[in-house]
Amino acid sequence: MSQITLPTGAVARARIKKANSAEKRADIGWLGWSIIALGSAAALFFILGPLIMLLTTAFRGPQDLLPFEDGAQWTLANLAAVYLDKSLYTNVLPNTLIFTFGSVTVTFVIAFILAWLVERTDLPMRNGVYTIILFPLLVPGIVLSITWIFLLAPNTGWINVIIRSLFRLGETGPLNIFSMGGMILAQGIGLVPFVFLLLSSALRSMNPSLEEASNTAGASPFTTIRKVTLPVLLPGLLAPLILATLITLEQFETPLVIGFPARINVFSTRIFFELNPDTDLPAYGRAAAVALPFLICGIALLMVYNHLIRRAESFVTVTGKGFRPMRFPLGRWRIPAIAFVAVYALFGAVLPGFVLIWASLFGYALPTFDTLSTISFAGYTDLFNNPKFWLAARNTFIVAGASAIIVTSIGVILAWTILRTQLAMRWVLDFISFLSLGIPAVIAGLASMLLYLSLPIGIYGTVLMLVLAYSYRMAVSTRLTRAALMQVHAELEEASSVAGAQWFTTIRRVVLPLLTPSLVASFILLFIIGFREFTIPTILQSPDNSVLSVMMWQAFQAGKTTQAAAVGTMIVLFVIPIIFGLRRLVLARDGRD
Amino acid sequence: MLKVEGLERSYATPDGLVHAVKGVSFEIPSGSFYTLLGPSGCGKTTTLRCVAGLEQPTAGRITIGGTVVAQPDNDIFVPAFKRDVGMVFQSYAIWPHMNVLENVSYPLVVRKPRPPKTEIKDRAMEALRLVGMDALANRSATKLSGGQQQRVAFARAIVRHPKVLLLDEPLSSLDAKLREQMRYELQELVARVAITTLYVTHDQSEALAMSDNVAVMSEGLISQAGAPRTVYDRPANEFVAGFLGGANFLAATVTEDDGGNGLAVFDGDAGSVRIALPAGIRKGDRVNIVFRPEDAALRFAAGNNGNQVHASVARLSFQGGLTECHLKVGDVLVRSMLHPSVEANVGVDAWIDLNPARCTVYPARETSRL
Repeated sequence: MSQITLPTGAVARARIKKANSAEKRADIGWLGWSIIALGSAAALFFILGPLIMLLTTAFRGPQDLLPFEDGAQWTLANLAAVYLDKSLYTNVLPNTLIFTFGSVTVTFVIAFILAWLVERTDLPMRNGVYTIILFPLLVPGIVLSITWIFLLAPNTGWINVIIRSLFRLGETGPLNIFSMGGMILAQGIGLVPFVFLLLSSALRSMNPSLEEASNTAGASPFTTIRKVTLPVLLPGLLAPLILATLITLEQFETPLVIGFPARINVFSTRIFFELNPDTDLPAYGRAAAVALPFLICGIALLMVYNHLIRRAESFVTVTGKGFRPMRFPLGRWRIPAIAFVAVYALFGAVLPGFVLIWASLFGYALPTFDTLSTISFAGYTDLFNNPKFWLAARNTFIVAGASAIIVTSIGVILAWTILRTQLAMRWVLDFISFLSLGIPAVIAGLASMLLYLSLPIGIYGTVLMLVLAYSYRMAVSTRLTRAALMQVHAELEEASSVAGAQWFTTIRRVVLPLLTPSLVASFILLFIIGFREFTIPTILQSPDNSVLSVMMWQAFQAGKTTQAAAVGTMIVLFVIPIIFGLRRLVLARDGRD
Repeated sequence: MLKVEGLERSYATPDGLVHAVKGVSFEIPSGSFYTLLGPSGCGKTTTLRCVAGLEQPTAGRITIGGTVVAQPDNDIFVPAFKRDVGMVFQSYAIWPHMNVLENVSYPLVVRKPRPPKTEIKDRAMEALRLVGMDALANRSATKLSGGQQQRVAFARAIVRHPKVLLLDEPLSSLDAKLREQMRYELQELVARVAITTLYVTHDQSEALAMSDNVAVMSEGLISQAGAPRTVYDRPANEFVAGFLGGANFLAATVTEDDGGNGLAVFDGDAGSVRIALPAGIRKGDRVNIVFRPEDAALRFAAGNNGNQVHASVARLSFQGGLTECHLKVGDVLVRSMLHPSVEANVGVDAWIDLNPARCTVYPARETSRL
């Protein structure tokens, strides 16, 4: 045997470090590192770039100048103007709190009852109920908010008209959507499908043998719920509650559509009106100053959510399929349960859809047999002859599609880097991508506005700017892909490497094909989010980059009810076939295996 | 064909340095079957992965077919995809999105330059024929049984005729009955392809049955290497003796020493054995006498054989083909195998006849184990 020197001290340490850095994959190569670097840089840019601009702007003035324009300097005037103003504490803050907690309570109570009924009782037709509850997820929030006005506007709202004719009341009311109660109702019901989805999967992930063990230990069903079911489920139930709070807090559609006419301002609309004052120039610095605590709240809630999710995951003992949860027999509660589901389905899904289609064909009028004869397709023919509609449709597809592709691609790179390399910065990437979930859309819009107004690359007001501004939502795709990649045994990649494949070949031929279902899922999800997006394009709107949701709002504001309803219908009609087509594609692929 | 010299691998963990492999050396001649055997955490898999190129060693040298593929001293590290090796993974790592033929063709498809399509198919089918899977070439990889997955993994590992074949516990994910069957099959396949093979396992019967040479590893080092029979019959230390098959340890004192031929008297005056003493042990020394259960023949009546130990039956465990008998010698438990026809009862006296030629003497350490 020839002489081998044994390393000592610093040499040994350096060598261990080097070996460790390649511990998981020794074959990444320059191409791999470039892709990782590019993906990481893009993620950092999309998330941190706007945020840094936002923080800077809050401390730059005078307030009608951009932070890096000539004449701008460091100042605390923005903060003073915002936080010494009493109306913030007597008006905006209490309104935000009441709106948020009211809506979340409505959402959570309804969603929890529905999830419990579907997952843990013998409610009939559970699969059908599941689908109906989830359907409104496809409908943009702005469309839902406007349909509530159709139903509950004090003068012309259908429900008001019906109540008045039944009880022979006066000219207006009795119900008024333009109130805090109306905002809470519209927002609360609108978020039910999303929270229902999270709660039902939390309820489903519980191992029924935990409950069975309690039963065989002599505990009654009620004791079992109290001592076993609820404590085990608690983190999994609280996490959606926190997420719902976060989403409601950052809501913009409902406060704008319903709150603005009622003169009820919350944080998100306050930021918007600082940017779009009636008379003055946009006050960038003040908008940024309002945004700061809003952002901190969002991120704090996100941290709580993350903590709860980890706890919930550590409690989940069975993740595989093939077990049946214990179902409670509803017995004489069967009829009330069915009634509850039916009432929710009526107000959450059926009525909004019906109102929307009806208004696009018959206008605002309450449906009666007389109005049937006034049917008119003018709303649609006008729309189809309007080049602005086609521009907005094209823009919507491009922005939703391109940002979904960008974010999904970066998500794969981040997920792979986080799980399969030993890079020190992988935790930073993980944290930053997760952080994006806590950034309210209003702030993302504002921050992107500041960034692209200041960057001399000439994309302000273009579709490309919207694509870049939408692309900060890394959390969804990174988390989804990471979960999928965890299921891909590292040996599957090592086998490819030993078989003689270079890094990129392994990624292309082994990793990506195995991740396809989750990549498609991530794309669909981001596409829907992009297609529904209203807040960012409203803040960043220009004549050239109008999207469908903004066009609908503008038509509604201009009093063109029929056109607004027609655009709303078209949004839903566009998005449904795309989602089902893509889903089918994935299912067809899975069927092959 | 494969030469590993002074191999070391350390990890920096939050709890400090972990030395997984502390200086392992061995050489496998062309066409030979070499096994690394040891408990989990002994460094055998890390050694194999260093040979595969999936991990970088921190010191030492690895040579495959005359080419140095890893030597941290000279900053040489050839990544896995450039080494001429084939590997069967513990999980088999059959790609679920490809069918059987695509899995086996893969090493040829990704090779540069890529051979022509017809050649790829011919060679993949040849490998599949070898493992008897040619009829299932177009079957989806997700529809294979455990045994079939192993065959496909093997075909994929040998399809490009690598210089070295690496097998990482390939039988450990199979159930007991299938494992035995696949062991014979794997043995025949390896013999047929005649590729230099490095095999990693924690199962001593696999190691003994399949290998030309076995290295028993413990705590990052090779404790003993040699032909299976030698290692089994003449374990170099108590760890090897205990790990390779059941071993009984009885403490004794050397009371006579007649030029290397000694008499060892077991503690508690339970008996004695006249036995050859290894170098360095002399009269008055405390020793451990180690013997295998199959060498512990039982008698249930006293005799006057000089080499015997008195014991009492503590537990009887009928296992079908044999009865395992646990005996107490003083406080120490000793195992013996009985033919199932032998009648015995718990609590009765028994005498163990020892064959000195099948006993090994070690200098005593503090404790002895079952």
